[in-house]
Amino acid sequence: MASHRVGETGLSDSGPPTHHHHVPYAVFHGINASSTTFVNQEGSAFDFGELEQAIALQGVKVGNDEAKASFFTGRPAATLEMFPSWPMRYQQTPRQRSSKSGGESTDSGSAVNTLSSKADYHQAAQLEPESPISKKANSSSDHQQAFNQKHQQLQQQQQQLQQDHMASSDHTSSRSTAGPSSQIHSPSSSAKPTQEKRKGVGSTSEKPLDAKTLRRLAQNREAARKSRLRKKAYVQQLESSRIKLTQLEQDLQRARAQGLFLGGCGGAVGNVSSGAAIFDMEYARWLEDEQRHMTELRTGLQAHLSDSELRVIVDGYVSHYDEIFRLKGVAAKSDVFHLITGMWTTPAERCFLWMGGFKPSELIKMLTAQLDPLTEQQVMGIYSLQHSSQQAEEALFQGLEQLQQSLIETIAGGPVVDGMQQMAVALGQLTNLEGFVRQADNLRQQTLHRLRQILTVRQAARCFLVIGEYYGRLRALSSLWTSRPRESMMSDDASCQTTTELQMVQPSHHHFSSF
Amino acid sequence: MHYQTESWGSYIPATTMTVGGDPLERIERLASESAVVIFSMSTCCMCHAIKRLFCGMGVNPTVHELDEDPIRGKDMEKALMRLLGNSSTAAVLPVVFIGGKLVGSMDRVMASHISGTLVPLLKDAGALWL
Repeated sequence: MASHRVGETGLSDSGPPTHHHHVPYAVFHGINASSTTFVNQEGSAFDFGELEQAIALQGVKVGNDEAKASFFTGRPAATLEMFPSWPMRYQQTPRQRSSKSGGESTDSGSAVNTLSSKADYHQAAQLEPESPISKKANSSSDHQQAFNQKHQQLQQQQQQLQQDHMASSDHTSSRSTAGPSSQIHSPSSSAKPTQEKRKGVGSTSEKPLDAKTLRRLAQNREAARKSRLRKKAYVQQLESSRIKLTQLEQDLQRARAQGLFLGGCGGAVGNVSSGAAIFDMEYARWLEDEQRHMTELRTGLQAHLSDSELRVIVDGYVSHYDEIFRLKGVAAKSDVFHLITGMWTTPAERCFLWMGGFKPSELIKMLTAQLDPLTEQQVMGIYSLQHSSQQAEEALFQGLEQLQQSLIETIAGGPVVDGMQQMAVALGQLTNLEGFVRQADNLRQQTLHRLRQILTVRQAARCFLVIGEYYGRLRALSSLWTSRPRESMMSDDASCQTTTELQMVQPSHHHFSSF
Repeated sequence: MHYQTESWGSYIPATTMTVGGDPLERIERLASESAVVIFSMSTCCMCHAIKRLFCGMGVNPTVHELDEDPIRGKDMEKALMRLLGNSSTAAVLPVVFIGGKLVGSMDRVMASHISGTLVPLLKDAGALWL
């Protein structure tokens, strides 16, 4: 590409010195002795720019063929427009232009659009040279400044684009101005009007210009320049948005693969911490897994699978619970309150929450009626399990009470002598909460493992099915509750409903059937 | 003499000898002095929970509050941490010894209780009678 561009460099030593020298992309140079300083100031970002500059300074002449066409030479004043596209073909003089008209495809004179140039650059397409603007005879200082700014912008954009994916060709189609063609072939037909316009302009420029014409030309140039600027800005916006979009898509894909939606979920729910959001997502996935395990257990029992096959399913269910305890352990580190207040569960579950989860002794109580027939030894085992879990629960509960007591003493006791000190102590005490939630989860996990130990494979399968269905129904109850019709807001109605719900929640003595 | 004043049930006050020496040695010596020995911190609520657990089972544990021993407490805590293989000082205490043998921290004690191995252990150590 660089060489191509270099080859296209067209310098002309003719014409009045130009005050503007644009060296950016090596696409166009307004080369002129006086403008070398300008060039230096610009500090081309590309090596080939400097190369072209060197070539320009040597006064390399470019013929009327393609090479020349691609290069924008600074003609008197012209150079302003060097906008960003490259390779730039630019006809320096009207003479050249007109003579070139047949030769190059892209020469057809539509204004160089920066936008198109960008895409073109990537695609190695040919760009149309800038039109009249380049012909400006005088350059004002502010033009030069604007030029500099544009140059810098373009440089930045160019750099950015270089790092991006190659633009699709649709960018070029979005160009509105002057119908530049970004493709290799340039529709000479589309360029014709501009070409003619250019020609017209060119022809005018050949004659001595009167003030009116000059003014008109200047206005035209100005207008064209502005529209090019707008187009450039628009395309730049499009490019950056597109890049952002592809990056977001990639991130999303990656996050999906990992099963987490960090940014989206955390950002969507404003007051949910990221640890909580992550856990909620993982819990939702766990619930889906739960459904799958339930189905496996159900069909496994109904199909009367062999014990060894059923064992695999049962042990899989135990691992499934191990997984949620592990996830909760991780979540407890980042947001223990999310767990302990039950914000991750449904309302009905939350109501009967114990230290961030189910109460093991309550679960066993619920199960005992469903687990018959049991051997005497099994009954003893279940009973002692319930007893020891009750003792452990009581111990943990008292420890938590002690924590609450010391916290109250810290933040409520006496006049606030040293507020920050008190708060620091209280914060330290709060960190103990994580330990309690973890011990409670540990208790739950041990209970499930012990159940698995006591029961036979088939019994364990039934037991886990009962557990899964119980919590499934509790969750269904919650959603029914939240979606129930609320015609009356009378408090007594509400309390009646609550009572009914409580009754429903009590463990029933008959087997749970599939919901 | 070093007494532990407790409000929850009774337990044997621990007597500490004013001998210096290796903290680990000291721990092992203390652990073998009673059937159930708990190394604890008076301000720690998890320690409170484990004391409650044993008392609820009818066991009278010997409790050593390490924060009440300004000279050796810290060293013993560090030694216990090494004994448990903990990298962080966060949740070392409480540490329980039964029959002179290390049982572990709260999670080990609870797991052992749920799985039904704690009670036989206590009985073997003479801390529990049927």
